[in-house]
Amino acid sequence: MRSNRTSLLAGISSLLVCASFFTAILIGKYPISLTALLAVDRMAIRTFWILRLPRALMALFGGFGLGIAGFVYQTIFGNPLASPDIIGVSSGASAGAAFAILFVSSGIVGTTVFAFVGGLLAVCVSLGLSALAPGKSPSSIVLAGIAVHALAQTILMFLKLTADPEKELASIEYWIMGSLGGVTLSKIPFSIVVICLCSALIFALHRHLLMLSVHEEEARMLGISVGTMRMALLFLATFAVSAVVSVTGLISFVGLLAPHTARILCGHNRRSCCFLSGTIGSFLLLTADTLAKSIAKTELPISIFTSLLGAPFLIYLILAKREEDTR
Amino acid sequence: MTGTFPHPSHDPAPSLESVFESSPKSSDSSPVFFADHLRVLRGGHPILNDLSFSIESAGTMTGLLGANGCGKTTLIRTICQDLPHSGSCKLNGSVLEGLSVRNLARQISYIPQQTGISISMSVLDVILMGFHPMLKLFEQPSAMMREQAYTALCQTGIENLADRDYLTLSGGQKQLAILARTLVENTSLLLLDEPDSSLDFPNRSSMLRLIAETTKNHNKTTLVCLHSPDLALQFCDQILLLKDGKVSACLHPKTDSDEQMEKAFAEIYGPVRLLRISKNQVEPDTQDRLVLLLL
Repeated sequence: MRSNRTSLLAGISSLLVCASFFTAILIGKYPISLTALLAVDRMAIRTFWILRLPRALMALFGGFGLGIAGFVYQTIFGNPLASPDIIGVSSGASAGAAFAILFVSSGIVGTTVFAFVGGLLAVCVSLGLSALAPGKSPSSIVLAGIAVHALAQTILMFLKLTADPEKELASIEYWIMGSLGGVTLSKIPFSIVVICLCSALIFALHRHLLMLSVHEEEARMLGISVGTMRMALLFLATFAVSAVVSVTGLISFVGLLAPHTARILCGHNRRSCCFLSGTIGSFLLLTADTLAKSIAKTELPISIFTSLLGAPFLIYLILAKREEDTR
Repeated sequence: MTGTFPHPSHDPAPSLESVFESSPKSSDSSPVFFADHLRVLRGGHPILNDLSFSIESAGTMTGLLGANGCGKTTLIRTICQDLPHSGSCKLNGSVLEGLSVRNLARQISYIPQQTGISISMSVLDVILMGFHPMLKLFEQPSAMMREQAYTALCQTGIENLADRDYLTLSGGQKQLAILARTLVENTSLLLLDEPDSSLDFPNRSSMLRLIAETTKNHNKTTLVCLHSPDLALQFCDQILLLKDGKVSACLHPKTDSDEQMEKAFAEIYGPVRLLRISKNQVEPDTQDRLVLLLL
């Protein structure tokens, strides 16, 4: 009964993702229609290849990666508030992007590469520090993450202080607010490959992920190398997040909201729930991006819409679940 | 049915003998389990102080009793290789120290006081966790393993809970699910740390009866940490009394005299009286019952 419900949910969410993907392709400052594309209208074709397709693909795969990564974090830490930010990936990527804007180039490639390296460096330092701590418990990962986050924020603040307020500071702030506006076809293959690989490995290791939610001592006696597997799964999840935020800038709420919503809808944590978390992430990011590029005259930061769409829905789900529990 | 423990002897569920192999019987006279001079320090203070004991044959249940802080849980965790220690543990002649996590899990099952499952998952998924040491990195449980998991659920009398969310179960049902998981693990040594701690009075007795039956029917070696001397006297073949990190006495309720046991219990609990209730007064039990009273 429950598996039927999960299959139905996965089907509905996949349909919603497809619908939002095509909407994201057609809607924008320069609307294109299916008939124009089929009639090989030059302008429509150029808009499709240069602006719409890369952006929609990034939203599709980026949202999926953020959703899956959030699922991994919430399962491992047994906390619905856990998200990839918890081990400093966002602040590391921000510091990396700011460094690139100030000292390398404010171009898209430089910012992307440095943001990716910054995010990954923050994760490696967090996980490395926690591995050195006695006990290697989840709390030591969180504490190491808080320390790395604080350090990266300090570096970012220092970089902002030295930035030219007219140009560089604005670029840094805009990057931090997050946008898919700068996505081009040449920028996305690496990110998409990383997201697909990490997601595939996370799906394949889902059985181990479930076991990591059990108390460490009990999981170990069930034959799981807790420390190694926890590090491996956190690294895969964070690697995927780094691949997303290095291209898009910071995107808030998707990694938190998508898995939480999937769990409330499914009522379990099976692989299908993990997939649903990914599709909800895709849907949320595609819809938020469509709104960000079409609602105002200038393009708006995408995080405004991920939060605006996500928060009321999350509140609704929590209240609906509460009613169900008290019934 | 689901709120209480089934009585194994009246359980119509299929026998596990067909799907779960019994643990190998010790062929020679060497003990099946031997803890040799275990020593664990915490903050420079010995929690286990040169502790040694042995369990002579498989199919026996050994109870660990003692006052709070005497080292019961530390002993269980030490055998699980969860604490740094000196000394060694031997199971069927093989030293447990230095075994990989996976190989250790193939030999030992552990039931904690309360399981640490904190996210929603079905009871069947919880049972399937028991197959982990037998699976390769990316391998999934087979159809046969699912069948075995269902058989274990039948054996513990909770087959109707297979699809229920584990978090919504009562304390007793949760412990039964973990016991079912232990059955599919199919290890020779069971370590249980106060498995009755979250249960009410009748369910404590039923849980221990089920563990005792499992121990005998599947030829397991069971070491169970308990608080109640009465339950230990009723179900255990051997009782280890712990005091100050050492075994102060090793009792065999079926053969030792009442005076001998009373004296040993008095060593750790203070003045006590051991009452023997004749088997005629406690139908349908087939043996006398012993009750320990604190004076």
